[in-house]
Amino acid sequence: MREIIPNKDGRIQVEIFPSRLLNAETAEILLTELNKVEGVFRAMIQGPRLPRKVSAGPGTGEDVRHTARKIVQIADTAIELSISVGRIRLEIADADVKEEIRTVCERILPFPFEYRTGHFFHSKATVSDYAKHGANANPSMLGMMDPKANVEDQVCILGAQKSD
Amino acid sequence: MAYKAQYYPGATSVAANRRKHMSGDLEKLREVSDEDLTACLGHRAAGSDYPSTHPPLAEMGEPACTVREAVTATPGAKAGDRVRYVQFADSMYNAPATPYFRSYHAAINYRGVDPGTLSGRQVVEARERDMEEVAKEQLETEMTCPGLAGLRGCTVHGHSCRLQEDGVMFDMLDRRRLENGTIIQDKDQVGVPIDRKVDLGKPMSEAEAAKRTTFYRVDNVAFKDDKEVVEWVHRVWELRTRYGFQPKN
Repeated sequence: MREIIPNKDGRIQVEIFPSRLLNAETAEILLTELNKVEGVFRAMIQGPRLPRKVSAGPGTGEDVRHTARKIVQIADTAIELSISVGRIRLEIADADVKEEIRTVCERILPFPFEYRTGHFFHSKATVSDYAKHGANANPSMLGMMDPKANVEDQVCILGAQKSD
Repeated sequence: MAYKAQYYPGATSVAANRRKHMSGDLEKLREVSDEDLTACLGHRAAGSDYPSTHPPLAEMGEPACTVREAVTATPGAKAGDRVRYVQFADSMYNAPATPYFRSYHAAINYRGVDPGTLSGRQVVEARERDMEEVAKEQLETEMTCPGLAGLRGCTVHGHSCRLQEDGVMFDMLDRRRLENGTIIQDKDQVGVPIDRKVDLGKPMSEAEAAKRTTFYRVDNVAFKDDKEVVEWVHRVWELRTRYGFQPKN
């Protein structure tokens, strides 16, 4: 088994890679359950895009109205899923949390999944990050989003109102 | 003894399926009406006449030409149809056809077609009614599973994505989806909504798709398990390498 190498904060990063693309309902249940696990600091979901409009070909500009593009409720935050969830990356506290997350996935996902540890969020600002966010970028935002997108569109801070 | 074409080597189910696709000896699994097919292709309104790009050949007064006399024109060419296309994307997760075998099927079994083979999609260009004949055969027979393949004129993304939870190939433009156990298409090839819901039939089960596929996969029938195919692939590569080796001095 591979050794778990924590980052400088002592945190570890894991990736959940299901063998099927999740539908919105399963993604909502899984993300809600993962949110309940103590010791999850950051999460990123990734998968093929569900565009609002056709962007190529003779149908350019037509509304897609993809049936998988739904609003999901995670804790007190509503998020519009603009992707079909195919990969979830998490930054967590320690190996105990890792095993707890594995149990949650085994309970919720009706098909096999890959579960691995690694370094998935970059820790130093790239040139793109510098161009987009400047020299004083929030380090916890690094690797969380497409550098071309707006932070408000792609990043949700769950429980932000409570902590305020 | 009459010559019998040997299309593809190999003793595995994948090799047998490849021979079926190439020879056109295909099992019909579903029915798609002409109007539904026309709607899904999206080149003209369902039920309308074929627009033409030139008058029928019989009215044109063709020049004397031995090639024109030797080669009978296809029905689409005779009528002066426009050239139009059909394009399929097939999932790498055991879809029945692969782009190459769709091309072989079209090129071997039909005249006047121009198949184009790409990594994740396959296009056939032909006179409109000739193209519809190819599309109809490919759509109605074991060459296509409606869940694992799709008519995609653009935004073909999905052939190499994991399948969705319901076992259907991902489609960014949501042209077709699983509804009550069958695949329903309500947009044309390029994602423009159509005036009907076309029932493309039930998707194949995982076991049936694994049986009918022309994909070699290590989790089904591995390429290396087909000794005769490996031998012939090696032979073709060796001969083309030798042929290409041309020392100049």
